[in-house]
Amino acid sequence: MEMMDSHGYQELRPSLVLREPVEEHSIRFFDEDHLVALRWDFTVALARMLLRRFPEPPRRISYAGDVFRRTAQSWEPMEHVEVGCEHIHLDPADSREVDVELACLMMSLPSVLGLKGGILALGHAALLRRPMDAEALPKALSSRLVWALERRSLHRAAEALADHPAAERLLAHAETLLVEPDGEASLAALGHSPYAILLEEERAHLQRALTALTPLLPDNLILRLDLADVKGLDFYTGPTLRLWAPGAQQELAAGGRYDSLFPDLGRPWYAAGFCVRLTRLLDLAETRPELFETE
Amino acid sequence: MTILIALPKGRIADELLPMLAHTALALDERAMKSRVLCIPTATPGVEALLLKGSDLPRYVAGGVAALGVVGSDTLDECEVDLLELADLQLGVCRLSLCALQGISLESLRRKPHLRIATKYLRMTRAWLRSEELTAELVPLQSSVELAPILGLADAIVDLVQTGSTLRAHGLQEIQVMGRTSARLVASRGAYLSEPGRIAPLARLLTSALLKP
Repeated sequence: MEMMDSHGYQELRPSLVLREPVEEHSIRFFDEDHLVALRWDFTVALARMLLRRFPEPPRRISYAGDVFRRTAQSWEPMEHVEVGCEHIHLDPADSREVDVELACLMMSLPSVLGLKGGILALGHAALLRRPMDAEALPKALSSRLVWALERRSLHRAAEALADHPAAERLLAHAETLLVEPDGEASLAALGHSPYAILLEEERAHLQRALTALTPLLPDNLILRLDLADVKGLDFYTGPTLRLWAPGAQQELAAGGRYDSLFPDLGRPWYAAGFCVRLTRLLDLAETRPELFETE
Repeated sequence: MTILIALPKGRIADELLPMLAHTALALDERAMKSRVLCIPTATPGVEALLLKGSDLPRYVAGGVAALGVVGSDTLDECEVDLLELADLQLGVCRLSLCALQGISLESLRRKPHLRIATKYLRMTRAWLRSEELTAELVPLQSSVELAPILGLADAIVDLVQTGSTLRAHGLQEIQVMGRTSARLVASRGAYLSEPGRIAPLARLLTSALLKP
């Protein structure tokens, strides 16, 4: 939080109990006749709070606290401690500057968190979203394709698309996205996708991001392009970043641009942000202490 | 740090282990005959775990093993977060709805209370949904063929390789619901945070195991 304070992020505290229990993984219960949910995500909780209380959004917001999610496995924790920040702006022309500011904050995380090193994976949600929209893929089929790529599974993608007229094009594109996480070589491969022209802008965006961020990288951080990062595709609309510690099982921080959240709620605001998963960080410190600086 | 590869015991292992012999991932034969749990391979720093198929995804998803080979039927029955890098086309089977000779899918559809015995509950539920059918599922772990013979269920859902076991019990396949095979899986964290270490091993396993 100190890091965020020092960069002008103002802490807001959304309620732990939300009256919009729409998320299927939320923990829900009745308060008299009203179905309510424990906060499952800060971004959504903050968005609703901002809509109620601010005619103009505060530009820089930070948060810290618990979120609760139902888990697939009984042994997984339902309570997670998260810290994060959001940058909301009115002019889309500010997006690039905002994205670089947030990326720089994420790049400083390994040092702030005491990690010896980290890997920052850069992706872009539109790399899959736009071809799926262009092919007018039905929602159920889109979900299956996203699920397959989330598993980095070309054969599952082929199974999902089996009878679709655009199967060949989409599979060739999926193969391009599934190159091993790399730098500029992956970006060059994207130029050979059947959707290369459609994704010209996104490709240029990623190229600019690599060019802008590479010189700013601290010594203990590697920047990698991960074209198949399709996690959270329903939420993210633009570039995404995920911070990994080498050998860690789960990402320690994740964020990106989500320009459809506020318009969907009736406000023409643009937004990006990231969240640090403190519970995972503490687990990692316990199980893999060698990944952390000793002092 | 040693990289662990989880390999399944049983039917898939019978096909898989001979294919690894004479490769950089050949398992140490002396260790195989002993009771050690981690078996060294021909590559220093890479060891294999031989696990029951149903346990294997958890070892990979939990990051204990960086890579693994497991049947897609096992994967589809459990909800674990891992990467599925390749269809190795080993141990290929059909997942089929089977019933006694003379019974058709239409006659099953007409039953007011259909009972299906299976080990594959999730996949059967998904198929029932897609067919807009309802049925009572009878969970069984083995010898599922007995269920329709002894009247425990009207039909079964099971893996079929050649169909000889079915025929021996007077059963027939009445609907193929899907295809299953061995898959190369990877721990999300290991693969994405250390691609330089894990991806070459994944390629090595794929080239050794994927039939041309």
